[in-house]
Amino acid sequence: MTRAWTVMTKDLRMGPRSPLFLFAIILPVALTFLVVGVFGSLFAPSPRLGIVDQGDSAIAAGASELEGIEVTTVSSVATLREMVEENDLDAGLVLSEGFDAALTSGQRPVLSFYIGGESHASNRIILEVTALDLVRAATGAEAPVNVDVLTLGDEEALSIATQMVPLLMIYAVSIAGAFVPAASMVEEKENGAIHSVLVTPTTMREYLAGKSALGVVLAMATAVVTLLLNQAFGTSPLLMLAILLTAAVMMAELGLMAGMYSQDSNMLFALMKGGGILLFYPVVFYIWPNLPQWIAKIAPTYWFLEPAFEVGVRNGGLADVWVSMLIAVAWIGVFALGVRAMSRRFEQRVAINA
Amino acid sequence: MHAAIEVKDLEFSYGDIKAVDGVSVEVAKGEILGFLGPNGAGKSTTIKMLTGQLRPDAGSISVLGMTMPEQTVDIQARIGVCFEEKNVYENMSGRENLDFFARLYGIKHKDFDPFLRNVGLIDRADDRVSTYSKGMRQRLMMTRAMINDPEILFLDEPTDGLDPVSARAVRAVIKSEAERGAAVILTTHDMNEADQLSDRVAFINEGRIAALDTPENLKLKHGQRSVRIRSRSGGGVEEQVIALDDAGAGDQIRRAVDVEGLMTIHTEEATLENIFIELTGRGLDA
Repeated sequence: MTRAWTVMTKDLRMGPRSPLFLFAIILPVALTFLVVGVFGSLFAPSPRLGIVDQGDSAIAAGASELEGIEVTTVSSVATLREMVEENDLDAGLVLSEGFDAALTSGQRPVLSFYIGGESHASNRIILEVTALDLVRAATGAEAPVNVDVLTLGDEEALSIATQMVPLLMIYAVSIAGAFVPAASMVEEKENGAIHSVLVTPTTMREYLAGKSALGVVLAMATAVVTLLLNQAFGTSPLLMLAILLTAAVMMAELGLMAGMYSQDSNMLFALMKGGGILLFYPVVFYIWPNLPQWIAKIAPTYWFLEPAFEVGVRNGGLADVWVSMLIAVAWIGVFALGVRAMSRRFEQRVAINA
Repeated sequence: MHAAIEVKDLEFSYGDIKAVDGVSVEVAKGEILGFLGPNGAGKSTTIKMLTGQLRPDAGSISVLGMTMPEQTVDIQARIGVCFEEKNVYENMSGRENLDFFARLYGIKHKDFDPFLRNVGLIDRADDRVSTYSKGMRQRLMMTRAMINDPEILFLDEPTDGLDPVSARAVRAVIKSEAERGAAVILTTHDMNEADQLSDRVAFINEGRIAALDTPENLKLKHGQRSVRIRSRSGGGVEEQVIALDDAGAGDQIRRAVDVEGLMTIHTEEATLENIFIELTGRGLDA
């Protein structure tokens, strides 16, 4: 396997000199920025509130339990001001000693609330309302109004940016995992370099192992980056990595078959354009979830897209995805048989065309 | 003591077409064997079997005392192959190409400078191959074929299309490799090159070896030696061709040169190409 490693590392080292390789790495990231730029909020983190608790305020304890707000305890007012000024925090709250007692005794203690000039307006509003709500709760007072929250549209609906995650993910793994190794093989067929490799002690199995390892490494890397950028990696990183590994292996196998089958780069591009539809179409069912889902399940790629979406977006666990993962592994087995069958013919064809 | 290569009754077919039909040959260490034949004669298919790319349908191959296909990988570790097509990695430098292939042979941290210097590429070693001329690529491929100090070198048209300087450099490398003890299988259309370099030549035609001998012996057996004499006669030029093997050839030559207006005298011997045509009934470019 040392020679498979040599084949893979050669492609990885030489990759940055290839426009196609760069395209495969950069495009998913560029698409992510495009999608979240148009539909989402990549650079809009949760509101960040800093608290200086000079007594032992229940407000500080209540704030730390808030969901969706990043709460930081700060040691001094000076530090808090500095952090807010430098936009390390959106807002800062100073709870002076005896604040809770003063509050409950009916006094009107001063509550210092600093707002960062560079903070997002939406975050300021959220933090201001939250701070007032915490103070009111500390007094034990009821809210002066009952807020009736009504969800309009589909309660289960996800944002468009989230619905685009499967598209971005399959783009990343298919380009990096399948197209890059396939194109590398076809290029080596076209310029004859594969012949010179196969008259060294490198076997066809080692050559294909090197190319598939290239696909797996690239697909894993681009998929991880894509999901992280889309904040869709979920809360089970190991499980997500296992899912991405099945995706990467499956795509690498498809890449090997495409690379072996294609006589030249024109044929490979035509194959990828035509065959790509069969790989990509399940993403349509995430964008329009009302379409009949069984159609998506026909595609092998569905069986890694679904667990990735479940874990990454819906925070599912192994119990939710193991069946899908098992089916994905079965597909990998089927494709492995395909690779094996094709590799024998491919070796003969390469030798004849040498 | 094994010959470097021993091939017996080798056969291979592409479907219904028999490309190699009972080829048997032995090549000694340090010997250069010219492998001559027209396109489609079976040369390349034979070489592909000897280098482990194709499995023969029948026959046996022993290389350096090891058998194919059982020990193909071990054999490939000890041979070098230079193809006719310029199959180098163009987006890599010459040195990177050599390093990659050396690693495939399990060789790490090798000093390539002596190799590169030997073929005149040392100054361009770190430039990308895409900037190399055809001759430089060919010389790089020759270097690549020798990176593992092979005991057998398979060279397919190693000087095809090269300028005279590059061709001379490549021929010098081939000779020095044979002197080092490597067996060299040289496939070429260039009869002069085969004549100059080869210790023996094998004529292959329709998948069979039509003749196998030293160039001198082939010429002696199958060729006709002659002298061509041209002289001015009247207003024109008279040309006589006198076969040296004919009785009275000496007298004929004396008479032919004992004239006024003698212009040129050339001795002529049969070329390998003529002998090939005589033996097979077809030309090498067919």
